[in-house]
Amino acid sequence: MNLLRMIGVGLLLHTKQLSRSSFEIATALIVPVVQATLAVYLFRAGGEPGRLLEAAVGAGLMGVWSSVLFGSGGAIQRQRWQGTLEMIMLAPRPPALMVLPITLATAVTGTYAMLATLLWGRLLYGVPLDFAHPLLFLIAVPGCVLGLGMFGLLLASTFVLMRNANALTNTLEYPIWLVSGMLVPLTVLPGWTGPIAAVLPTTWGARAVHEAAVGGPVWPSLGICLAISLGCLVAGALMMTYVERRARAAATLALA
Amino acid sequence: MALFRLIGTGGVIAYRALFNWTTPAMFIGSLLVGPIFQLLFFAYLGRQLGVADDRFYIVGNAVLAASLSCVFGGTMAVANERRFGTLGHVLLSPRSRTAVFLGRVLPYAGNGLLIAVSTLTVGSLLLGLRMPPAALPALFATLAVAALSCGFFGLTLGALGLRFRDVWVVSNVSVALLLLLTGVNVPAAGLPGWMRAVGEALPITHAAQAARHLAAGEGLAAAAPAIAAEATVGLGYALLAAALLKLFEAESRRRASLDTL
Repeated sequence: MNLLRMIGVGLLLHTKQLSRSSFEIATALIVPVVQATLAVYLFRAGGEPGRLLEAAVGAGLMGVWSSVLFGSGGAIQRQRWQGTLEMIMLAPRPPALMVLPITLATAVTGTYAMLATLLWGRLLYGVPLDFAHPLLFLIAVPGCVLGLGMFGLLLASTFVLMRNANALTNTLEYPIWLVSGMLVPLTVLPGWTGPIAAVLPTTWGARAVHEAAVGGPVWPSLGICLAISLGCLVAGALMMTYVERRARAAATLALA
Repeated sequence: MALFRLIGTGGVIAYRALFNWTTPAMFIGSLLVGPIFQLLFFAYLGRQLGVADDRFYIVGNAVLAASLSCVFGGTMAVANERRFGTLGHVLLSPRSRTAVFLGRVLPYAGNGLLIAVSTLTVGSLLLGLRMPPAALPALFATLAVAALSCGFFGLTLGALGLRFRDVWVVSNVSVALLLLLTGVNVPAAGLPGWMRAVGEALPITHAAQAARHLAAGEGLAAAAPAIAAEATVGLGYALLAAALLKLFEAESRRRASLDTL
């Protein structure tokens, strides 16, 4: 119970903190809306006006991934710049549990993108929000967010080992959008991308959200997303423990 | 001669000091590999929707790739001076600040050209697009004009860094808007009139049109008006950047807000 409370309070704290940043808000709101607009015009130009909901949901998912990628990828570095990394690592809890609320918060902030793209599509382009499974959509989105937040812990712990993690962060945005089928169906991609897509929680999370929006069995995809994400959480926690011990031993915790 | 040295050498030194992506990993990851994935994303989306052929996306996104280093570079050219605490020293210099800042565009434009050429080459090889060999020199010139035009556009955004604290928001949103408004990924006919009008005043739009003419083997005569339009847009942004830099410099001195972060 204490553990859940700690994660809950941490999540709220970091979500509030991220929500005060004009950069985070602008990135989470404006950029996905521009991408949603682009998707709407592309789908219209392609003679697929019936798939505009798919376009809006896809653009929202892209925004969630961007938020997790850039937020979680730079989570440790941001704490370091703020001077709060030592305090987090000194807390009498495993370091992974202290960082998890941060990565979850980046995913929660990413849901602003989903809300923004759906509202934008509805109000400006009259995209009908006729979800095939409205209730399941309300479950699939938080489920996907939770999954991506756990995946974010693995990103955070891996990236902290790399001096040039930013390069990887910038490079990973489009490939994950592409391979996870957030906007482009996986069927049009080369066959060799299939196994890569299958092991990414983003693929199954995106699939669950799309299935809730346009129809399909939501639970299996959501279940696989959460199962893979749980694996990422365990791997991320082990990595974080290793990184923390190494940084303490080498006295490099505060060094960039 | 001294002016050219100020523009050339000053620009290169500023590039090495202020551009965040000069390390090999950052350069390759962010600037060379990233745009290729962007190209592939839109090419596959375009294929699936049947909006346009691969050539449309390869050429368009290759031209757009030039904007990445130029827009962010232009912003860094001014905003990072403030971040590193050196803006005051630059503005105290007895030399022309207009020349100092306009000179900074050249390395970023060169960088943008390199990225555009690399994206076009790799994109063509991956998706099997054959370019008419006779079109290559004019295509190179078109990409160079696009990169220069984007560089001045980036410097215009960078000038806002003298007045506004969070100029990175402006850069990020601008890059996203270039994706939408320049007709690189959605054919201009598919966009509403006002978006087309805004796009006409942005860099990349005309260069992408010119590059598509050239890639289709229509020759320089067909592409020349669009290249001239792109150069005009670039010149317009150069003048705007110079005016804004002067204006905001005076304003920041008056308000004592030069180093406010």
